[in-house]
Amino acid sequence: MMYIDPHIHTSSRTTDDYEAMQQAGVVAVIEPAFWMGQPRTQVGSFLDYFSSLVGWERFRASQFGIKHYCTIGLNSREANNEALAEEVMELLPLFLSKEGVVAVGEIGYDDQTPLEDKYFREQLELAREMDMPVMVHTPHRDKKAGTSRSMDVCEEHGLAPSKVVIDHNNEETVKEVLDRGFWAAFSIYPHTKMSPERMAAIVQQYGPERIIVNSAADWGVSDVLSVPKTAMLMKEKGVPEEHIRLTCYQNALDAYGQSGQMNEADLLTPELVDQRKKFSGNSILRGGQTPRVDEGGS
Amino acid sequence: MSWLDQQTDKYQNQRSNRIFNLTFSTLSRYFDKSRLPNNTEATKEAGQIRSGWDLSQWDARQAARTYWLLQLSADSPEDYRSALDRLFATANVDEQITLYAALPLYDYPDQMVYRASEGIRTNITDVFDAVALRNPYPAGYMADEAWNQMVLKAIFMGRPLYLIQQLDERRNPDQARMLIDFVHERWAASRPVTPELWRGVAPYLTKEHLPDIQRLLEQGSSLEKQAATLAIKESENDMLRKQLANYSLPDEELDWKTIGIMSND
Repeated sequence: MMYIDPHIHTSSRTTDDYEAMQQAGVVAVIEPAFWMGQPRTQVGSFLDYFSSLVGWERFRASQFGIKHYCTIGLNSREANNEALAEEVMELLPLFLSKEGVVAVGEIGYDDQTPLEDKYFREQLELAREMDMPVMVHTPHRDKKAGTSRSMDVCEEHGLAPSKVVIDHNNEETVKEVLDRGFWAAFSIYPHTKMSPERMAAIVQQYGPERIIVNSAADWGVSDVLSVPKTAMLMKEKGVPEEHIRLTCYQNALDAYGQSGQMNEADLLTPELVDQRKKFSGNSILRGGQTPRVDEGGS
Repeated sequence: MSWLDQQTDKYQNQRSNRIFNLTFSTLSRYFDKSRLPNNTEATKEAGQIRSGWDLSQWDARQAARTYWLLQLSADSPEDYRSALDRLFATANVDEQITLYAALPLYDYPDQMVYRASEGIRTNITDVFDAVALRNPYPAGYMADEAWNQMVLKAIFMGRPLYLIQQLDERRNPDQARMLIDFVHERWAASRPVTPELWRGVAPYLTKEHLPDIQRLLEQGSSLEKQAATLAIKESENDMLRKQLANYSLPDEELDWKTIGIMSND
C-alpha cells in the first residue's frame, strides 16, 4: 500500500523518521508552512524558512525516496504581528508559484482575532488570484464555530469548496464540512486531536469521499507513522481496502493535485535512493557512514 | 505571441522588479523539463560566446529561465546585483541550478565571485554541480583558495572531476598538497580515493611522493595504475619515471578524461 502524508512538518523531524516513513510505504509528504513554536521577529526568518521548504528539505526528503511538497502561507498565530505580517504578505507571491508548492496554507484562525481575520482573507484572495488550493488550519479553541466561520469566509471570497481542505477536523465538525462540499482532513495525534480508532469509526460512518488522513507531526509529541498506522487499524476494523486507499492516498492527491504541482506519475516512479552519489562530507551522511544504494542505482 | 514574449515586452516597457521576479517564478508553469535537442550548431555557438560553456545537460525550462535572466537590466552594478541576490534568496533547487549555471553570462561577472563561493558551500549535489561542473565561471574568476576548496569538495562529494572546466590550467602547488594530505587521510581510514585525484597532483610530484606512487602501482586498481602512470609522465620527474620500468603496465594508455569517465561509471 502507498500512502501520502499530506500534513507533516518534516523540517523538525529526524532522518530516522524519514527512513521509517519510507519503509512503511509513505511515498510523498506535504509540509505546510507554519510557526516554529515561538514567534519569528524578522521577515528574513520567514524568507529563509520558505526557501528551505522549497530547497533543502525537498532535497533531504528525496535522499530517502520520499517526494516532498509544501504549502506556503502566513500562519494564524504570527498574523497577529501586523508590521511583520505586512512584510510576509509581500514575500508570498514570490514563493507560491515555485515548483512543488501545492497550496496556500496553512492559514486560518487561532484566537480568531481581527488581524487573523484580515490576513486569512488577504491570503484567500491571493489563492483565488493564483488559482491555487488552500489548506485551512482550524482553531483548537472554539473549534466548531471557528470551523464554520472559516468556511463562511472561504465562500465569501469566492473560493470553490472543492479547492479548500479544512484541516484538523473531529466528530463535531466533520458533518458540516462534508455537507458543504469541502475536503475534510484529520490529524491523527497520539494524545490529542484524533486517534486512529476514532478515525476508523468516522470513515465507517461517513464513507471515504473527501476525507483525508494526516499525521500533522511536528516538533511536539506526534507520530510520523500516523497515516500507515491508521490505515492498518482501519483494515483490522474491516474498512474496505478502497476506502483506505482513498483516505490515506488518493484524496490528498486529488485535492492538492489541483495545483498542477503534484502528479501521480512522479509518485509511481520514485527516484531511486542513491546516497552514495549524493554523498557529501557534512550532508545527511557523516564521514564513515555507509550510503544506502537501492537496486538499479547508478 | 507567446507568454514569454508578452512578458519580455511588458518588462521592457516597465522595468519593475515585481514583473521580473514573478515572471522568473512563473516560468515553470509554461516550460517543462524536456531535454533540449542535441544541436551541434548551438553547442558551437555557446562555446564561442563563453569558452567552456556547456549546455548539453540543459532542459527547456532552464533555457527559458536563462533567457529571462539575460533580460535583467538595472541602472547600476549594485542594483543589478541586488536584483540577482533577491532571486538567489528565494530560489528553489531547480532555480538555483539555473542561477548558478548562468554565472558566466551575467553582466559585471566580477561581482559574482562571492556568489560562486556560496554555491560551492551547498550540500545539495545538483546545485554544487551547477557551479562546479560544465561551468567556465570558477576557472575564470575564482581565486586559488576558493578554487582549491571547490576541487576538494568535488572529490568529497564524489563528483566527476573531468567535468570541471580548465582543471589542468588551474592546478597549483597548494592544491597538490591538499590533495595528497587528503589521500593519506583516506588511506589511514582504509577508504578509497578517486583515481581522478592524481590529475591535480601530477605536475607537482617529487621523490617524496615515491611511497604513494609505489602503493598505487602495487596495490591500486587498474584505473589507479593508469592514473599513477599518467601522473608520473606529467610530472617530468626522472626518478619517478624510472620507477615505471619496474612494473608491468597496461599497453593502452588512457587520458584523464577517459579515466574520469571510467571511474565515475
